[in-house]
Amino acid sequence: MDLPTGTRNYTYAEDMAIFRTKTHWILLGVLFVLLFAMPAYWGDWLSVANRIGITIIAVMGLNILTGYCGQLSIGHAGFIAVGAYTSAVLTQRFDMPFLGAVICAGISAGVVGILFGVPSLRVKGFYLAISTIAAQFIILWVIQHWTAVTGGFSGMDVKAASIGPIVFRSQVSQYYLILVITIIAVYFAKNLSRTKVGRAFIAVRDNDLAAEVMGINLFRYKLIAFFIGCFFAGIAGSLLAHTSLSISTDYFPLTDSILFIGMIIIGGMGTILGPILGVVFIRLIDMLVTELSPALQSTFPNLPPGFTSGIAPLLFGLAIILFIIFEPRGLAHRWQLFKASYRLWPFSY
Amino acid sequence: MAELLQFTVTGLALGMVYALIALGFVVVWKSSGVANLALGQLVLISAWFTYGMLTQANLPVWIGIPLVVAFALFLGWVIERVILRPLIAQPILSLITVTLGLGYFIQGLVGIIWPLSLAPLPKLFPQTPVHIGTAVVSQEYLWAAVISLILFGLLSLYFRYNRMGIAMRAAADDQEAVQACGIPVTKIFSRSWMFACVLAAVGGILISSIGNITVGLTQTGLQVFSVMILGGLDSLPGAIIAGPIIGLSETIGAGYLTPLTWPGIREVIPFIIIIIVMFIRPYGLFGEERIERI
Repeated sequence: MDLPTGTRNYTYAEDMAIFRTKTHWILLGVLFVLLFAMPAYWGDWLSVANRIGITIIAVMGLNILTGYCGQLSIGHAGFIAVGAYTSAVLTQRFDMPFLGAVICAGISAGVVGILFGVPSLRVKGFYLAISTIAAQFIILWVIQHWTAVTGGFSGMDVKAASIGPIVFRSQVSQYYLILVITIIAVYFAKNLSRTKVGRAFIAVRDNDLAAEVMGINLFRYKLIAFFIGCFFAGIAGSLLAHTSLSISTDYFPLTDSILFIGMIIIGGMGTILGPILGVVFIRLIDMLVTELSPALQSTFPNLPPGFTSGIAPLLFGLAIILFIIFEPRGLAHRWQLFKASYRLWPFSY
Repeated sequence: MAELLQFTVTGLALGMVYALIALGFVVVWKSSGVANLALGQLVLISAWFTYGMLTQANLPVWIGIPLVVAFALFLGWVIERVILRPLIAQPILSLITVTLGLGYFIQGLVGIIWPLSLAPLPKLFPQTPVHIGTAVVSQEYLWAAVISLILFGLLSLYFRYNRMGIAMRAAADDQEAVQACGIPVTKIFSRSWMFACVLAAVGGILISSIGNITVGLTQTGLQVFSVMILGGLDSLPGAIIAGPIIGLSETIGAGYLTPLTWPGIREVIPFIIIIIVMFIRPYGLFGEERIERI
């Protein structure tokens, strides 16, 4: 169903390739050209694009953890915070180069993730959700009060990202940095899902007992999932810190963790396309609301005064509920259906 | 010493209220297997609704509070009918995340209707502080404890003697068998959600009459999860015993640990307890360890 009719497999390598037909390659090329040329035609949207890119990296990690391995985590913003602060502290206080700090941020977030992931071995579902919420609160509390290192409530300033002599200070340069790292992250996630580890994750998600009986080491694979998921979060946190140039714990609220879950639900769990669609969808709603609600407020003066601040969570909540009830497989599934129908058109019978 | 006594009394009373809110969760979890993560938001919206009735509409307490209870019953019914009914027999992941979405939705709703960050409830209880031994405790704590105890009593009587209560316990034990007996399971689900909302509403009123109505109430709802985790998710007595333990460790811990560590530890203690329980005894003090089969 995924491929146009008449696509045949002559070798194993061909069978496994992600891009199969000439059309695929052309479309990929067009996509890359559009993405890399974006500053030229949509310059005003770069800040949104940067936010979307960082969120895609974080949510891709959550998707590996929750969508592929089935371990629900509602503390992802906490792990992002670990990455952001690690990277900020390393570059500010120890003068570490940016690239090294990004890797260290990922590793430290991953290690903290493993720590809070250990209960996943004995509990699942709701218990795990609660322990990850607890993780979020404990992490933020430590950051808020460990003033000597993290600057406490007032947060800390961060250097702009730099690789060698290039300093990513302008929005355009930040856009390219985030774009390249996002593409690498998506590529990594796509390939991970097709390896032995990825298949083990899916087995654990579908039934962890059955997976264990088949010889999958649950302890190992659940912790690997936590590590990889939080590694992505750490990278996203580091990018966030080095592009916004200052961080405080306000950047990592629990509501964001919940929103990330909403994004993978809306996009479609356990697919690579899903998180991307989900993030774009939610961020665009976010944009629309912040653009439109002041205008609405001034045209309809009898709207309640809290309209502007309350409408966004209201819509997000509604979107999450509606998607779970009516389209639990998310936008990615809709996209599949659409592809199938245009391939068969006009003879769909 | 007076300090310790004071911490103990306030901790116990606070814990009772926690246990009350936790019971609402346990009832839903036992009967329908839905993990209600919107608990904090339910507490929040009913506290604000009470504010709307008593302060904004200026109704007397004896009309206002029944109206709040009626609102909570209605809210529970709507939530079950509109959101959870279509999701019966869906995977647990959907059931958890849909309540997260619900919480988000309620928070937005509260933000639109009551765009205040803080408001006091009118004083429902007498204000003169009470002397217990050497400790001085404000009366609200004692009232909160008494009201919680009365509600525990009523609930356990309901589950013991009322037909519907017995049916709810049966549904918790084996849903299919109950259905085979001709008991409408959906009605039980709906009833359990109504209970959850009423208990959250009473808890919200009690907590916000001690403190104020703030956004922090949602976090209170999350702290209540530590009660369920410690007591065991599927155990009513577990929630009642674990509530005061959590309340005590919160007040005593905050009283004696704050000088040793950082301020704000009070809000984090329940979460630290959650992590500790997860490592040592994940099914809680009284919870039943489910043995799974493939």
